[in-house]
Amino acid sequence: MAVSTPGRRAPVRADLEQVFRTAYARVVAVAARVLGSREEAEDVAQEVFLTFGRSGVPAGEAPAWLSVAAAHTALNHLRSGRRRASRERVAGAADPVSPDIADAVVTLDERRRVRVALARLPRRQALALVLRHSGLSYAEVATALGLSPGSVGTVVRRAESALHKELSHHASPE
Amino acid sequence: MRHPSDGTLRRLVDEPAGVPDADREHVAACPGCLSGLAAAQRDATLTGAALDVELTSDVDAGWRRLASTIAADGRRRSAAAHPARRWRAALRSPVVAAVAVAALLAGASAAAAANWLEIFRTERVAAVTLSRADLVALPDLSGYGTLAVTHQPNVREVTGEAAARQVTGLPVPRVGKLPRGVTGAPTYQIGDRVEAVFTFSAEQAARTAAAAGEPLPPPPAGLDGSRFRLVAGPGLAAVWSEARGVPALIVARAVAPTAYSSGAPFDTARDYLLSLPGLPEDVAAQLRHFSADGTTLPLPVAADQLTSRPVDVGGNPATLLTARDGTMAGVVWADDGQITAVAGSISADEVLTVARELRWSR
Repeated sequence: MAVSTPGRRAPVRADLEQVFRTAYARVVAVAARVLGSREEAEDVAQEVFLTFGRSGVPAGEAPAWLSVAAAHTALNHLRSGRRRASRERVAGAADPVSPDIADAVVTLDERRRVRVALARLPRRQALALVLRHSGLSYAEVATALGLSPGSVGTVVRRAESALHKELSHHASPE
Repeated sequence: MRHPSDGTLRRLVDEPAGVPDADREHVAACPGCLSGLAAAQRDATLTGAALDVELTSDVDAGWRRLASTIAADGRRRSAAAHPARRWRAALRSPVVAAVAVAALLAGASAAAAANWLEIFRTERVAAVTLSRADLVALPDLSGYGTLAVTHQPNVREVTGEAAARQVTGLPVPRVGKLPRGVTGAPTYQIGDRVEAVFTFSAEQAARTAAAAGEPLPPPPAGLDGSRFRLVAGPGLAAVWSEARGVPALIVARAVAPTAYSSGAPFDTARDYLLSLPGLPEDVAAQLRHFSADGTTLPLPVAADQLTSRPVDVGGNPATLLTARDGTMAGVVWADDGQITAVAGSISADEVLTVARELRWSR
């Protein structure tokens, strides 16, 4: 066992640490695409690996399973209103890479609008979008969401079109 | 030829190898499709830029945090939420006691045999509605006699469906299409056969009656010391969890409860026990009604939290339960000596769809 769990019956899977070290960065990245915040994405990754650790998911299916679970969980966070706006503000204020305060404000506002738009999408569209942009192939997205491979493109296209409309609708005139 | 769909144009943007040659050739020569492709490319690039977050993640710190959560979780679970302990606590609860009383008393045959005689066999499940006041008023089974659990269920997680099937001898559920929001592979929980023997005691019943402030009606001859045996299980459950550890979907099946008696006139005993002070009259009336044929298992439902309505699952009468706050739904039915339940933090429609499309692998 990778982790000692005194007094606990349900075992933690033996390959957890190995899978964690291989897939952690990818899982955080999937969640961050949804949430736009590293701190929250790391919280989601913890939840996802905790579930994975007690699951019987075959090791070969772990990478796709983890990505799907990360997207789902992050979308749950996004929609449940459990996000703290203050977190984002704090993260933005401490952002050392922004050379210009105006740029930083625009970026923050855009980020916020992307997340609002993402939360408004139908769950399947949001998942397909995030998973495809996280590097899952069309076939993997199809399997994960129970879609035919041919319809993944349609679902992703719809989501991107909705996102584009949302962003250009709010874009201020130059 | 027909123009390729928007979805095909989208796939051309980032996975062109998955698009048939004919579609690719068409797009290259079609101004309309080329413009559609350009729009798809623009939206894909914009979305990618909007979604991408530059970050570096600290794997070691992440692992230390997970390891400490798992260790703490193990301690907490073993202390507070051990399945076997939960089950034992459930056996002491008045609601389960009420079910046990009903099951024990449900037999309609007036047999006085020396050997164990089957008096109740679950063929149907029906809801018995209880108010919060009823729940508080219900006496524990220990108010009527002594309950000895002779076989513990020993609820535990097993490694997979093969183990669940092998240990319980029950078929394992196959859910064709998971409801939205439910993902991944399930974990499997199993429980062994449970057996409990209840011995009726006129003296204890009298004390319970006295505590309720009412005199005990004289018990029918032969009831004092009568023994009733309740058997249920084994059972198994496939559990899909949300990342926060809340079950998103549970599909469970168990060998349905059966009750046996070592000799007492049951219709008399049932009517007597259901008339004892302590059991609210409306609850007693419902139990009397449901247990009349000795084949209907009453399912206590807290009326302020759940609504229930009869439905049909694969030709079997079933009971659909829905939380009043909309947070969960479940459906229960009996078929061929087994009870099956599908429940989760999903809608009533989704619960019914899963239940009606269930397949079982033996």
